[in-house]
Amino acid sequence: MSQTPSLPPELRPEASTPSLLVQGQGLTRQFEVDGHCVTALHDTSVAVRPGDRVALLGASGSGKSTLLHLLGGLDQPSSGTLTWPALGPAQHLRPGNVAFVFQAQSLMPPLTALENIALPLILLGQGTADAEREAQVWLDRLELSALVDQLPDELSGGQAQRVAVARALVTHPKLVLADEPTGQLDSVTAQHLMDTLLCVLDSDAALVMATHDAGVAQRLNDIWHMRDGRLTMITAARGGTR
Amino acid sequence: MIGPWIRGLLLRRPLRMWGSVTGVALTVLFLSLLLTFVLAGRANMTARAIQSVPVDWQVLLGQTASRTEAVQAIQAATPTKTILPVGYADVPGFTSRTGGTVQTTGAGKVLGLPIGYAAAFPAELRPLVGAGTGVLLSQQTAANLHAGVGDRVQISRYGAPPVAVTVSGVVDLPQADSLFQAVGAPKGLAPQAPPDNVLLLSAAQWSALFTPQQTARPDTVRQQLHVRLNQILPGDPGRAFDQVNRLANNVEARLAGSAVVGNTLAARLDGARESALYAEALFLFLGLPGAILAAALTFNVAGASAAQRRQEAALLRVRGASERRILHLGGAEALTVALLGTALGALLAALTSPWLTGGTPVSLLSLLPPALAGVALALSATLLPTWQAVRQSTVTAQRQSVPRTTTPLWQTLYLDVALLALAGLVFWRNAAGGYQLVLAPEGVAKASVQAEAFIAPVAFWLGGTLLALRVMNRLLRRAALRRLLRPISGHLAAVVAAALERQGSLLKRGSALVALAVSFAVSTAIFNATYNDQARVDAVLTNGADVTVTGGPNAPAGTQLAALRTLPGVTDAQPLMHRFAYVGADLQDIFGIDAAHFTDVSRLSNTYFKDMTVKEALATLLTTPNAVLVSQETVNDYNLALGDAIHLRLLNAQTHQYQVVPFTFVGVIREFPTAPKDSFLVANASYLAQQTGNPQAEVALLRVSGDPARVMQDAQHLTARLPGVQVTDLKSVRSTIASGLTAVNLAGLSRIELSFAVLMLSAATGLVFALGLAERRRTFTVLNALGATRSQLAAFLNGEALVVAGLGGLFGAIIGLGVAQTLIKLLQGVFDPPPEHMLLPWLYLLALVLAAGLSTALALSFAARASTRRVTEVLRAG
Repeated sequence: MSQTPSLPPELRPEASTPSLLVQGQGLTRQFEVDGHCVTALHDTSVAVRPGDRVALLGASGSGKSTLLHLLGGLDQPSSGTLTWPALGPAQHLRPGNVAFVFQAQSLMPPLTALENIALPLILLGQGTADAEREAQVWLDRLELSALVDQLPDELSGGQAQRVAVARALVTHPKLVLADEPTGQLDSVTAQHLMDTLLCVLDSDAALVMATHDAGVAQRLNDIWHMRDGRLTMITAARGGTR
Repeated sequence: MIGPWIRGLLLRRPLRMWGSVTGVALTVLFLSLLLTFVLAGRANMTARAIQSVPVDWQVLLGQTASRTEAVQAIQAATPTKTILPVGYADVPGFTSRTGGTVQTTGAGKVLGLPIGYAAAFPAELRPLVGAGTGVLLSQQTAANLHAGVGDRVQISRYGAPPVAVTVSGVVDLPQADSLFQAVGAPKGLAPQAPPDNVLLLSAAQWSALFTPQQTARPDTVRQQLHVRLNQILPGDPGRAFDQVNRLANNVEARLAGSAVVGNTLAARLDGARESALYAEALFLFLGLPGAILAAALTFNVAGASAAQRRQEAALLRVRGASERRILHLGGAEALTVALLGTALGALLAALTSPWLTGGTPVSLLSLLPPALAGVALALSATLLPTWQAVRQSTVTAQRQSVPRTTTPLWQTLYLDVALLALAGLVFWRNAAGGYQLVLAPEGVAKASVQAEAFIAPVAFWLGGTLLALRVMNRLLRRAALRRLLRPISGHLAAVVAAALERQGSLLKRGSALVALAVSFAVSTAIFNATYNDQARVDAVLTNGADVTVTGGPNAPAGTQLAALRTLPGVTDAQPLMHRFAYVGADLQDIFGIDAAHFTDVSRLSNTYFKDMTVKEALATLLTTPNAVLVSQETVNDYNLALGDAIHLRLLNAQTHQYQVVPFTFVGVIREFPTAPKDSFLVANASYLAQQTGNPQAEVALLRVSGDPARVMQDAQHLTARLPGVQVTDLKSVRSTIASGLTAVNLAGLSRIELSFAVLMLSAATGLVFALGLAERRRTFTVLNALGATRSQLAAFLNGEALVVAGLGGLFGAIIGLGVAQTLIKLLQGVFDPPPEHMLLPWLYLLALVLAAGLSTALALSFAARASTRRVTEVLRAG
């Protein structure tokens, strides 16, 4: 905790608040690489509320993805406590309440754009026809209707990421975790993707986005600065609303 | 750069590298073991053929030939162990006066044996009663004359008055066929039956008695030299046959036509040569599919990492590597796989060969060709995908992990249907008759296996697999697949079906490999089981029962039946009469059985009878007391028709005379336990007993539940006081069965094939499946990241398993059954008698299912665990 910078009162991790989407205290994550213990995240405390738009800014290897994966319940901390007061236990997070958008191609290669978007709904137990109908709505909304039957390999990088965004948002998640979604895109496409994401995201849904692009980070409300696996500073972004 | 690259591949791409190494090692191991088996089998057949020859050469001397010159010529042509002269004299008959009656036989032969003959050629004589030297009567002649040790027998002579001799012993002549062979008879003539009446004298006595006959009728007296060679012959029976023939020709040339060589050794090697070709055919039929399968596995393993190679090639290109450089790296990888795979395969072959081939170690000859094949396989299987990755892949193609499928050319051309039609046509043609897998014309050095025979099973195998792929194309359509997957994928069936449909080509490849592996395993297992059972049938056919006690007219084993029944391990004992009957002038074996109980101890097959089943044949015997079953040869020779009354002459125990006994011909019998191959008769024992006044059976057949060797020992002990009684079991006769191939015992080949089939099936299901899943690990990790539960993840994985292992296994089993049926039909020559039906080795088949299931389950569990581990790294990787 000593390494954690002093947080503004509204972000300070307090006793569990039902309105908090995720709350982490003293999170540490260590990996074993070639017999050596590597600490990817040091004693970090965070909290995310509904409607938050947070950029995790830092260089490669600073621990952004590790923190993101912990927040989404995709990975478990080596030490520290992690809870999702407004979302329930870890096993109820995905699909539905928490969604990911990854940096690299993450669509299921043998499924079409439509089927990829419908997949989280089907995993939630929805019928295939209903799920595909809803997926079609998202395709139209993201101006991807022409790609309905395209396989991921047949899409450009930007198209694939927009499909990934649609897949993430189709379940109306309360927390969207994006791991450098624009990292492999050119600046124009990246700009377009950010516009789309911020436009279609539910207003009460929180977004935590890892990026090393300060320009992208400035489009969100808060910037959490990370270095060497530590959360070093929290600043308000220029383009932010708060 | 090559060093670090290879180190990196070995450490970071273990499945791809060690998978390919495993494929190459399996290929080398399998081929080495098979080659070792074939080479050892050949040598074994040659050794057995040589051992089974009672006299290597019987050199018939012409009237003017000098014995000394002939001996010198033989010794000059080849090293010999023994050369002994034997006199042969034809006589009009023998007469004896015993018990107030006079018995006179038909024509016979008198042999003059030199001192030491029995020791030099021990297989020719088996003393039964009395002395082993002096005046000896053959068993049958002694029975015909009712003469025993001490009795006087009068020998009629041509051109000289009869002379009387005193019998000093009775002997059996087990190798009478070769002892009395027609030396110098033109090739192709039917073998001459040995004489019914034989008397043996010492050389000196024979010479004294037959010199007058030789002077009066030189055509009735002959001299032979019986020779045991001292040659080291090649292990290959074909080459040994050639060499022995050349040596015999040399002797004949040296003697300028004054002597003819009766080459018994060459005749036996001729038979072994045919068996060796059958063994080679088996090697090709059963072995090559295994080798092809191992190669296919290697290609599949190497091919499964195609996407990985494309990525690597793209990365290397981006970093400035030329195509040449990338190919060099691919070549280094291929060479590493070749070296490791070949070395591992050779090492495993050396370690397992003694166990799997029955004690034969691998030799350089059995290692070198497989090692070369392994290197070629590794180079082609590993280098080809690298070459494809470099040459054929564009940037777009390199990204494409799920290509849109197109209809392959073979499917458009209906190659599967054409291959199956071809298989059916060839099979029908071959099965229709007149077909011989091995062509080894008697006496001709050149022998061959009919290449046409391979067409049917190979075409069936390939056509069946292609047809399975065509059917799978239909099944992999979404609607059909959805129905198929619903039980295991539940409400995810539609999306899983969509995913699997688009991965059709990948899944079909895996499925085809599983189908090939299963069909190989199933066909091999069924063939081996059928073969082993048939080998047992063959042994029972020769021995009669588990343990057989064979007596003679003077010492019938039937007298000990009650005592034999009480021996530990004996569950039943039945009598079998074995006597002789004249059919016209021809003396034939006649067997008397108790039709109600014969099959309690012995085994009869429907194939033994013509136009009737075992049940019908035995029922006919039971309802017709004077019924007789006659061999096909006798039916042909005497133009018999069903229902004919036949009059046979049988020896009456009371009158000691042959008397006419009426029988009714009720059916044709082809084979019968303990009977000779050509001519014999089977009748009711009770009728024979009644008509001949002799109720005692000469043979006792024992059914054994315990250790046959122990029973054999006890039976020997029990019958020790009965002169000439022999006790044999299945094991002891198996080694003397004429068919060399059966004698070689397929156990070694079975062990290799069956072990390999399990290994291949496990590798095809587990390794290939695991590799495919490892290639798509990211997909499953994403699925996990999306929030798929364990059961939902399993729905995807199990769907793949159902298509790859389930459908592949099902089609493989069907193809395997078909191939097994084809193999059994085409390899009928191996079976004697031919099998009635296939035998399914359920235990082994169950083991196959378990092995495939276990390896698939391991691969699935590996994939399921991998999708939840190192998630961060996997998701961040491009």
